[in-house]
Amino acid sequence: MLEQDTSGSEVWEAEMLILEQGKFYVVEAPSGKGKTSLLSVIYGIRTDFQGGVYLDDRSLGSFSLKEWSQIRKKQLSFIFQGLELFDDLTALDNIFLKNRITGYHSSDRIMEMASVLGIEPFLNRKAGILSFGQQQRVAIIRALCQPFNFLLADECFSHMDRSNSLTAFHLIREECEARDAGLILTSLNETELPSTDTRLKL
Amino acid sequence: MRLLYNILWKDHSRAHLLGAFLGTLSGFVLLLAGIQFYTDFKSVITENRDLLDPEYIVINKKVDIGQTLGLTRSGFTQEEIEEIQDQPFADQVSAFISNQFPVSGYTENERFPDFYTELFFEAIPDEYIDVKSEDWQWDPEKGTIPVIIPQDYLNLYNFGFAPSQGLPQIPKGVISMINFKLRLQGEGRGNYDDYQGRIVGFSNRVNSILVPLDFLEWANQKYGYFKKSDPSQLILVSKDPTDPNIIRFLEEKGYDTIREKLKSSRMNIILKFVISFLVIVAAIIIGLAFLVFLLSLQLMISRSSEKIRRLNKLGFHYREISRPYILLLILLMAGITGLSLFFTSLLAGQLHHNAAAWSLDISQSLHGIIYGTALGLVLLISVANVAAILISTKKLCK
Repeated sequence: MLEQDTSGSEVWEAEMLILEQGKFYVVEAPSGKGKTSLLSVIYGIRTDFQGGVYLDDRSLGSFSLKEWSQIRKKQLSFIFQGLELFDDLTALDNIFLKNRITGYHSSDRIMEMASVLGIEPFLNRKAGILSFGQQQRVAIIRALCQPFNFLLADECFSHMDRSNSLTAFHLIREECEARDAGLILTSLNETELPSTDTRLKL
Repeated sequence: MRLLYNILWKDHSRAHLLGAFLGTLSGFVLLLAGIQFYTDFKSVITENRDLLDPEYIVINKKVDIGQTLGLTRSGFTQEEIEEIQDQPFADQVSAFISNQFPVSGYTENERFPDFYTELFFEAIPDEYIDVKSEDWQWDPEKGTIPVIIPQDYLNLYNFGFAPSQGLPQIPKGVISMINFKLRLQGEGRGNYDDYQGRIVGFSNRVNSILVPLDFLEWANQKYGYFKKSDPSQLILVSKDPTDPNIIRFLEEKGYDTIREKLKSSRMNIILKFVISFLVIVAAIIIGLAFLVFLLSLQLMISRSSEKIRRLNKLGFHYREISRPYILLLILLMAGITGLSLFFTSLLAGQLHHNAAAWSLDISQSLHGIIYGTALGLVLLISVANVAAILISTKKLCK
């Protein structure tokens, strides 16, 4: 339960909610209902909640800083709504920042993903001068440069047109399937997205 | 990881870091140079004395107007002698004994002008005397009294009195061949004996007319009728004449010493004062520079706090995030260590060069203690800073 008004929510008021690896979840809610909060709680960057959250069988509160850094390198990946890119680094360096600590993808695969998403021409520009839609795609590729059991995607298509959104969604799904990973996706407009397993109403 | 450095080093303030660097560097140079020179001068001061040959210091009370008017006494009482004996720097103390009867000396020699003077004798045990001579013994059968006079007396005669009076200068060897008579006067008229006197040596240590102790004891027995007075001079043996406590004690008690030897004790005090002043100033500078260091790095971290939180969200551990700061610290510290040792050895070389002109032997290379001090301080500052860096980056991570 979150420390704000959450009455009528399927998630916050539920007795228990189990998110399974390998399944795709879409979290639907209007703004201010706690979509980002839910992902932040799962990712361990918000701890102001009541109740328990468990990863496998361990309570999130029991993880040390060291374990969290391992979890964020190997088990959970997050496409932040605020993107969390470094404006002074080039788009490519922002991606490499992650890929160098995980060593997950080859440079070729990264270039391939960039070309699929149509941002290859901008890779050597500083992230700060790209449009928000372009930055979103950089953040998506960065999040895919690591192993994970769950990918948390927080409104990651908000500034893309429909065709770009679909391409990005297919890339994300493809990467998740390759890892047999779960996907938790938040969105303002659920009708944009095809084929999802479960829809959660906040 | 290069990218991490690119991200985190961007937020440094060059002015702060440069200030901290230069401040710490100058503090280090001041401190290390201070220690280097102190070690040098200390060895210069102490090497002038032979460790096996302790120093003899003749002390007397300062003559003041009270003594002139006969109100205070210039002699050392038994308690005063014992007090000196109890001082840690005093290994042996011996009092001079003096004649308790009138003495006069005169010459009877055609080659030398007639000469008459009233005299005094003093005696101390032989081990305190710096003149070793076979003739330095009293043999009542022979009746010749050996005398040691201060080197200064001969110099006064040869370089002062003789040239001004048109008299010949006399070399040491000739003096001992001059025959003169010594008249010891007992109580009562006509109660006197004449003895042959002979100068057997010149003392640099004792500023008095010395005769053998056993002779003076015998003569005081035979002729003495003055009231026995407290000794006015003491001879003090000290293993460490550079001990500043000697000067302090003598000044506190109002005692005087003729020997120049105590200059080293005085110099030691001055040197210690100057060096401790230098070390205190250096310590203050290093302390302040250390604070600037600490604050600059902390400021750098707090300016980057958003980036650090972001890196943490991407899965970086706070130790990984601390690395660029720690590397920066290590680079600066290495620079400070290297440069401060370099500048200190430049100063040492310069001093060695200058000191050679005063024929002082001052080492050109740095002493081991310098490296030790530099290393110890650098470690101390680094450890404190690394701890502060780790604590403040950890605070930003979840």
